[in-house]
Amino acid sequence: MSTVTAEFVPQAEPANHSELSSLVDVLRRRAAKQPDDPAYIFLPERGGERLSLTFAELCASAEALAINLGERAQIGDRALLLFSPGLDFIVAFFACLLAGVIAVPMMVPRRASSSDASAAILADCSPRFALTRSDLLTIARPDLRERFQASRLDWVFVDSCAAASIKERDPLPVPGRDDIAFLQYTSGSTSAPKGVVVKHGNLVENSEMIRIAFGNTRKSTHVSWVPLYHDMGLILNALQSLYVGALCVIMAPVGFMQRPLSWLRAIHDYRAEVAGGPNFAFDLCVRRYRSEELQGVDLSCWKVAINGAEPVRANTIDRFTATFAPHGFDSKSLQPAYGMAEATLLISANRRGTGPTSRKVDRDALQRNRIITPARERDSQILVGCGRQLTGEQLAIVDPETRTLLGPGLVGEVWVGGPHIAEGYWRKPEVTSAVLRAQLASGGDQYWLRTGDLGFVDEGGELYITGRIKDLIIIRGINHYPQDIEETVQNCHVALRRHCGAAFSVPDQEDEEQLVVVQEIERTFRRGVTRDELVASIREAIAKEHELTAGEIVLIRTGSLPKTTSGKLQRQLTRQMFRTGALSPLSAAIVL
Amino acid sequence: MRAENPSEVAIREWCTEYLARTLDLPAQTIDAQTTFARMGLDSANSVFLIVELEDWLGLELTPDLLFEYPTICELARHLAERSGR
Repeated sequence: MSTVTAEFVPQAEPANHSELSSLVDVLRRRAAKQPDDPAYIFLPERGGERLSLTFAELCASAEALAINLGERAQIGDRALLLFSPGLDFIVAFFACLLAGVIAVPMMVPRRASSSDASAAILADCSPRFALTRSDLLTIARPDLRERFQASRLDWVFVDSCAAASIKERDPLPVPGRDDIAFLQYTSGSTSAPKGVVVKHGNLVENSEMIRIAFGNTRKSTHVSWVPLYHDMGLILNALQSLYVGALCVIMAPVGFMQRPLSWLRAIHDYRAEVAGGPNFAFDLCVRRYRSEELQGVDLSCWKVAINGAEPVRANTIDRFTATFAPHGFDSKSLQPAYGMAEATLLISANRRGTGPTSRKVDRDALQRNRIITPARERDSQILVGCGRQLTGEQLAIVDPETRTLLGPGLVGEVWVGGPHIAEGYWRKPEVTSAVLRAQLASGGDQYWLRTGDLGFVDEGGELYITGRIKDLIIIRGINHYPQDIEETVQNCHVALRRHCGAAFSVPDQEDEEQLVVVQEIERTFRRGVTRDELVASIREAIAKEHELTAGEIVLIRTGSLPKTTSGKLQRQLTRQMFRTGALSPLSAAIVL
Repeated sequence: MRAENPSEVAIREWCTEYLARTLDLPAQTIDAQTTFARMGLDSANSVFLIVELEDWLGLELTPDLLFEYPTICELARHLAERSGR
């Protein structure tokens, strides 16, 4: 029957995911079991070339590049992945895994920005390589070479080196569960970026949790426009599809922003089961809805419409369902979910077909972190549940001060344990032990991730996120650290007082988060600059450095920003004063 | 409603009105000579402006246009020429 070589041929469909040793193992099994099935398709905008890769082609291209990379690299070297939308990212990502090189996905920095997160990421992980395409570096963005000059990067072009080596070679290393696959930098702090160290074991475990929650199979075609350098785009879409052996159709993020309905059309065309994005994506589809553009589009195939990466709004769910029900969209497909890079990705979600859960709570009590059924309709606020704990995961609500467990219905910090929780941030032992290796006051040997988010679990086990301990700003699914924005503001004009500004977000009329900056001006500054000029400089700097349009900029007098007696900035109080109109903004006419 | 070859002035007014609404500012504070960057337009909002212009003018436009024609004045002049053809 079997021959001696049989044990070297990977079993295509493992009986149990614990047999999977790494994502490389997953890739090889797919290439062996279903070589000619399409793995990825890239849909270009407006008539460009449609690209595709089968599982066998992906594996072969990634191996060729890995051999090339392996000849120059040491195991554990870091490699930036800098790509325009397309399939090169996927090939390069797997090439790194195959070569034992740690992949570092990164957004291509904008031309205009000067102090974006990319420089800080380079300084933090000191990459030896940057993988990209020759046309991106030589034609579209020649400035990148100069920008990263100080890092002495070895540029590797995936389009010109992949085919180079078919010769005698050392075998590629075989990664195990405890080996590092990639670093996920959480979008954000330019001053102190944190790279989550994601190991193969984390990836396999979270992929399995996602598969179980969403009920994914080989037939679960995904359609995604979320960027691949974003953890949601990578893990929930591109890697999950490979994990279950399904097709993932990829679209360019800007194409989606411009034509959100093309995402829905692709879901129809490919009879996709799984597609998702941050809350704003669903709003955008509703806002841009034109019935004539979606004629004949049937969305009844769409079984898992994941809404995650930013707070999920009840309004959004209602409007989206009402708009697309005539196209066969089933409200039970909507899947609010919660996750973060520290947990590889997914933390909570409901099972396929469950539909969203929501409940009315008293708005004022919620501000004080208490969950009470509202006495009157006008005091109520609707919270959308983010699903339940995943298979193999521990989810706890913990008093952040006393580190003791809280029962159902009580608001506390969300703590998460399980094999998907990263063991560390790249070279940051102190933050690692505080955030990723927290322990309850009662002790025990269980380590927990402290999410920094506040929430509660109801009697039925549904998790609701109610707020944050940390003052993180989330707009369009991207995390921004208020400290960074405040620094940008204070750097843009000498009339703006250092350490005397607050950045936060509030929902606008359409219930989307918008950025607000409250900033003190120097009492002593007298140079004939107008308020409008200062506001324009602040707007320009924020758009340039943080890719954000400021909603409102409020300039206030010296000493009027709320601070504690010890001089600590009070962002939440400032936010509350802004919302209740308690701040005294300088009038437009003022000339300083 | 799709416009019939709107004039440069009409496009300028349309952009001013649109940006005043998007940025939540009084229209008189939107200066047609100020760069979009100075107005604090990020790339998402740039794309949305382009999309609305496409709908209105019935032209295919790319988001890069706002780099090439970085003020309302320059953009309106360019678009008036293109839609006049």
